[in-house]
Amino acid sequence: MRLTLQMLISHGRVARKMGLGPESRLNMLRNILTGLVKHERIETTLGRADEVRFYAEKLIDYAKKGDTDTKAMKMANFWLTVLLYHRFFLLVSLSYSDPVPSTLFCFCLPDFYEYSWFFGSSSYFLFSLWFQEKDLIPKLFKVLAPRFEAQPKGYTRMARIPNRENLDKAAMAVLEYKGNPFPPLQPAKRENELTLINQLLKGYREEQAQQAAAMVESQ
Amino acid sequence: IDTIRGGGKLNKKRFASSPAVVRPSSGGVHGQRSAVFSREQARQRALYPRTEKIEVVLHGPGLHGTLLIMNKGVSTPHSCARHLTEWHVKSSALALVDGEPWPLHKPLIQSCSLSLLSFKDKDPSLVNQAYWRSCAALLGQVLEDAFKDEYSVELLGIPELPVTSGAFCCDFVLDPQLDSWNPSEESMCSLIRGAQQLIHQDLPWESLEVTPSVALEVFSHSRCKQEEVEEKAAKSNNGTVVLYRCGDHVLLSGGPLVARTGLCSQYEVTAIHRLGEGAWGLHRRAQGLSLPFQLEAHHTVWRKLRSRATKLVSEDFYWLHFKFLKGQCVESCIQILTPLFSCLSSPTKKRLGYY
Repeated sequence: MRLTLQMLISHGRVARKMGLGPESRLNMLRNILTGLVKHERIETTLGRADEVRFYAEKLIDYAKKGDTDTKAMKMANFWLTVLLYHRFFLLVSLSYSDPVPSTLFCFCLPDFYEYSWFFGSSSYFLFSLWFQEKDLIPKLFKVLAPRFEAQPKGYTRMARIPNRENLDKAAMAVLEYKGNPFPPLQPAKRENELTLINQLLKGYREEQAQQAAAMVESQ
Repeated sequence: IDTIRGGGKLNKKRFASSPAVVRPSSGGVHGQRSAVFSREQARQRALYPRTEKIEVVLHGPGLHGTLLIMNKGVSTPHSCARHLTEWHVKSSALALVDGEPWPLHKPLIQSCSLSLLSFKDKDPSLVNQAYWRSCAALLGQVLEDAFKDEYSVELLGIPELPVTSGAFCCDFVLDPQLDSWNPSEESMCSLIRGAQQLIHQDLPWESLEVTPSVALEVFSHSRCKQEEVEEKAAKSNNGTVVLYRCGDHVLLSGGPLVARTGLCSQYEVTAIHRLGEGAWGLHRRAQGLSLPFQLEAHHTVWRKLRSRATKLVSEDFYWLHFKFLKGQCVESCIQILTPLFSCLSSPTKKRLGYY
């Protein structure tokens, strides 16, 4: 396409870029979402928390359909995994005689095959190691979905916190599912019932209630 | 002046049965009362000729255990607040000295613990009650000043009402010439203006604890007030009576008053009701509504509260509310019982029963 100045200026573009590309962005969001479902309150950068919010609420909407629904189960299976190692070099022997130790991981997705070195009988492969969190899927369907049954939307809460102490001074935020067992982020401010104006209003309300009751009785 | 009094009842009550001719002008009366008050105040101050120091421990948010060295018999909680910040001076309405409510301009006489109360504390019920009393006292003062010198105004007293009743009130009796007088819109507005002027002057309410004889001397021209003095002296623990002065008006009150008139911001006299013939003439009840400067109401809210305050408030129904106020349990039981007993012995001004 034509290399115009408008391509470089991003005014009005709402889609965020994260990580190395769109796939990397989804992987990162998947990690963060798994952490959110596991811990119910997490702390990340502002942009990532804002991005994850949409997916977190959509996941709850799918979970509300129930675990018998195939689409919901597929979604839960896809999103509730954690990427442990991204594109690491794994020494794999060409003979395939000794099996790959499966005790460490449930399954291993090869990202792309690349014969980087040819070293005698073995080769290096680029793999991504995924860890499927088996116990988060029942938690999603059995704990989180019933919690938000009554609410149509708004299952998450985001609050900004002071910037990170590192050199980057990144803007940080806390993202949580409502109804979590932790103490509240921002305690609700209650107005004092005993101030003069509140006492006057209380008397006023009581009198109105009395009058309403008297009206009902007389009719 | 040939005053046509309301029949035999009144003559029985009054000791000085001569009509209003002998009575001096209201300005003179107030001046005389104020002079006696000042004399007594100077006498009480002269009891501490040498400056002695007392230790005052402050309690409050951010102030726990602050020690102030103040002067005995001279320093007031107001002066303690002046040692802190301007906010403390402006916002404190009442003080708690060793747990008992203390007017802000009353001198401290011994080492004690002090906490300054404002309208926005966690539990401002004491301050609210004191504010209600002070507004009623202000109303009485306005009424005394409002009428011309030839018409007499007798303040009967301030009934103790809780804040939830919606209005504070002041009972008074006008000159019999004004028996047929009913307040018009303009007269209500002029009363409100009088009150606003007093508020604008920001006069402090000075308190003084005196023996009943001095109090009787102060109110020598008013039999009704003297009866009230005797009642209060009988009720109090040590037989003394507390007088309050604002400007040049001296008055009695059922409890501590707030620091100064400038604390009120929204103030309106809402209604003057007739209570019917009583011991001193045609009893009337003036009602008003007020809010302090920290708790101002939006005009929509104010209008609703004001319309409620125009209705007559009666005290009998609200006696029970006082049971739950801090430290007033026993006092409230006495207050509940004494009207019942007194109505058997002699008709008091409270037991009117017209409403």
